Amino acid sequence: MERFLLILLLTGLAFPAQAAKVRVAASNSDLGYLCERVAGDLASVESLSSGDQDPHMVDPRPSMVAKIRRADLLLRVGLDIDMWVDSLLGAGKNPRVVYGSPGYVDASVNIPLLQVPKDKVDGSMGDLHIFGNPHYWLDPANGKVMARNIRDGLCRVRPEDCPAFDANLSRLEGELGAALKRWEKTLSPYEGAGIVTYHNSWVYFARRFNLKLLGTLEPKPGVPPSPAHLDRLIKDMASGNARAILVESYFPTKGARKVAATTGAEVLVVPSSAGGQPGVKTYFDLFDAIVGSLARALASPSGAPSCSKESPCSN
Amino acid sequence: MRNPVLTLCLPLLLQAAMPCFAQDYHEEPQVRIAAAPPPGLRGRSLNLPDISVVGVLNGHLSDDKTDSTRDKFEFDEVEVAFQGFIYPKLRADVFLAIHKEGTKYEAEICEAKASYLGVVDGLTAEAGKIHINFGKLNKVHTHQRPMADQPKALTDFFGEHSLTGQGGTLSYLPPLPFYLQAEAGVWQAPAHEHEASGKAEVANLSGNTVEAAVYTESTDFSLSGPLYTGRLKTSLALTSKSELEFGASLAGGHGSHYKEHLDRAIVSGLDLTFRAWTGPESRWTFQNEWFRLSRKVPDGNLERDGFYSFLNYRLDKQIDLGGRFDYSEGAMPAKSIERAFAAIASYHFLETNAVRLQYKVRGMEAKTAHEGWLQFVFGLGPHTHELE
Repeated sequence: MERFLLILLLTGLAFPAQAAKVRVAASNSDLGYLCERVAGDLASVESLSSGDQDPHMVDPRPSMVAKIRRADLLLRVGLDIDMWVDSLLGAGKNPRVVYGSPGYVDASVNIPLLQVPKDKVDGSMGDLHIFGNPHYWLDPANGKVMARNIRDGLCRVRPEDCPAFDANLSRLEGELGAALKRWEKTLSPYEGAGIVTYHNSWVYFARRFNLKLLGTLEPKPGVPPSPAHLDRLIKDMASGNARAILVESYFPTKGARKVAATTGAEVLVVPSSAGGQPGVKTYFDLFDAIVGSLARALASPSGAPSCSKESPCSN
Repeated sequence: MRNPVLTLCLPLLLQAAMPCFAQDYHEEPQVRIAAAPPPGLRGRSLNLPDISVVGVLNGHLSDDKTDSTRDKFEFDEVEVAFQGFIYPKLRADVFLAIHKEGTKYEAEICEAKASYLGVVDGLTAEAGKIHINFGKLNKVHTHQRPMADQPKALTDFFGEHSLTGQGGTLSYLPPLPFYLQAEAGVWQAPAHEHEASGKAEVANLSGNTVEAAVYTESTDFSLSGPLYTGRLKTSLALTSKSELEFGASLAGGHGSHYKEHLDRAIVSGLDLTFRAWTGPESRWTFQNEWFRLSRKVPDGNLERDGFYSFLNYRLDKQIDLGGRFDYSEGAMPAKSIERAFAAIASYHFLETNAVRLQYKVRGMEAKTAHEGWLQFVFGLGPHTHELE
């Protein structure tokens, strides 16, 4: 036992805390990318989940615990979409990044939230999030708020480098602003167009680009599509003239293809985070892929899909 | 506890009495100016802890006529949890349960613990009544397990309801580039309470016939008295989509019938788990645990082994299909080998609600038994358990 404790102590000393870089653990790849941009070379960033995973359903793993353990800063989406992070924080035994510590960053702070329940929420409503719809990163304008939250966290744990973080943030905000104008221009001809989505993930995106959400394939959040619900949805789509069905790359497409076959709408298998499809490596790539594929679908007469799992929008 | 059902349910009834309105959304965005609180800090103006209920309803068919739960459809367990922070970095988790014990329902403190998350960097402490961190399944509550029953080796060596102790444990996670956790605990575990109802002639370890007291209580073995436990666990991420976990555990103490048998016992265990994520929602799990019981009684020593292998495939977030092989030699002087195979299918409605079908065939020395379960697990409210 004494030998074992000695080995533990020595191995701990063999991997001393790196003073040079802020070690960051991010619950999703978009936060990871934004942090890389804000921190530049001053941080090493590890994402706990990849962009091709359903952010609600990430399996915590011991290797993630090790990432939390060595982190100086934890970034999370919050609003209960990444509740699995809480179990990792408990297991990670790292007081620097637990709730209330300087190294804890909930990127949803200051986000203008949509669909915040006013009253009681229960399981009859499906997996509804009690603090509001958590898919806020799908509005690129919220990317700026997320980046500012990350900057605040970085400044708390590394105040001496705050001017550098500010400068990087300023550059990133400029790029996001320019890209947002480009994306808005691309989709501006289709303002008011009706779309259907698999999950209720696209309210922030639809609000930003003035698209009309006609329904979701899931009858309630987290509840798989039923034939009866899809039949109702097909009728709603006919009256709303929906042209596209957005399905995140990690959801099944069977129900969407059934609806598309009846309505003529196009099924767009799209990423919802950086890394969600081949070639989609950054937060900018993410919107290039989604906006590009949606514009193509809305512009083209209904017919063969322009994007699919086999032929992603980004390729 | 005069009326355990009322005591457990009163807080829930009070909550249920609060006004209930249809779901509605604000049209305009609301600016969030503070972080969403983590589990345990969700109380609004009332500063309530997280309160939840989990129920496990079992339909059980069996052709083993000695099984007291056969051909019944009844609640196996209802667990009520109160969870929250009581001080910075100090949280309390209380799990009260009413569960089936033989043919009767009994109320008990399933777990009640305070966890201090900031002893020093990497070190946490827990004190209270706790499911001891031994292997993969012992710490996991019934409703969290991916199976309707538990492997025979766990029952033989730790009893029907997991190895649980009152005491404390320290857990250390060194700052390494990989996951390695060491844990040690000291506990007091209850002995089985029973009274002798007569005497009988039985065989001892040497094969000699001796007179022994006959007890009306079950002959289950488990550890009791002052216990010490330890666990070391590490993992290796083979690829970005697969992980191999190794663990070694040790528990030592008295046997649960120490007053009568004067036995000291050590259970050692090794576990190996491989998980691979083959798609956005699909996952393979191959989990194996081996146990060895070393039991020293006045007239000799006995050693017994047991293990299980569990293979599970998660097709998507709703469906799990699995199979389990059990082997156990029992804990008694007369070795009684049992082998079993179980096929398990689960459908998860939402995260805390599931229905499960399980078939098991048990091969014992003198007979074979066939069993089937239809299990419903449901949860209300925010209910969390720490990671194994």
